Amino acid sequence: MELNMNDILLFKTDIRTEGDKRLIAKVMQEYKIANWTVDQDDIDCVLRIVSSQLKLNDVINLVVHNGYQCEELT
Amino acid sequence: MNIHLYLNFNCKAMRIRDVNKVELVKEKAIELLVKVGFEGFTMGKLAKECDISVATLYIYYKDKDDLILQVGMEETERMGALMLEDFDPDAPFAIGLRQQWKNRANCMLENPLSVQMIEQLRTSTYQEKIFERLIETFKSTLGRFMHNAVQRGEIEAMPLETYWSVAFAPLYNLIRFHNEGRSLGGKPFVLTDEVLWGTFDLVLKALKK
Repeated sequence: MELNMNDILLFKTDIRTEGDKRLIAKVMQEYKIANWTVDQDDIDCVLRIVSSQLKLNDVINLVVHNGYQCEELT
Repeated sequence: MNIHLYLNFNCKAMRIRDVNKVELVKEKAIELLVKVGFEGFTMGKLAKECDISVATLYIYYKDKDDLILQVGMEETERMGALMLEDFDPDAPFAIGLRQQWKNRANCMLENPLSVQMIEQLRTSTYQEKIFERLIETFKSTLGRFMHNAVQRGEIEAMPLETYWSVAFAPLYNLIRFHNEGRSLGGKPFVLTDEVLWGTFDLVLKALKK
């Protein structure tokens, strides 16, 4: 819980199935994003990334480029 | 200062972890879990109950599972600590058992929602992760207490399970009657000190040599 709150990036996505998640896992691995989770129980399939380097738009572009919806969760 | 920079800064400042908010989230999460169960529980519903955004919840917790685990663990540990408060495993048997009854009764009567949630967790897939550590503490403390009493010749040697069942099941049953407001056949029931300690005396009589 002792995280820097500003390093937590949150997105609404449609990464819904296990297959979707596997695909995104490959993308994350490729871009060396280690600290990420998707809440597949949630209606918004919330993607949560902890990173001090990445910007919101970097992630949105990356996910959208791979065929999924992705917008900032507000 | 550039207005965009300012707005960006301000919005980030709002994300600072707020202890009161975390406590509110915990309290509402317990209420909601008891009301709708694990299946019906969603981050959206919880955010609404707390009057905060879903995003705020995700700052504190990775996902629904993480939230239930963390809230469950913290609450179980809090209740566990209350139950062992002022309890000395080396105390004489009657005094130690009385302290146990007092702690358990207070703790369970004052936190009925937490009791219900812990009961739900006990029969769920979260069970192992949540109770692992607590069970060890309880087993060693209560095991030592029972062992001491046997060594001193205050009670007969018996399996820990037998001891636990005789020592606490009557108390738990009284509390269940009380929390449901009814006893056998739907008869209205309120647990009084008289009934509580009257039952305790019988339990003590059953266990003591």
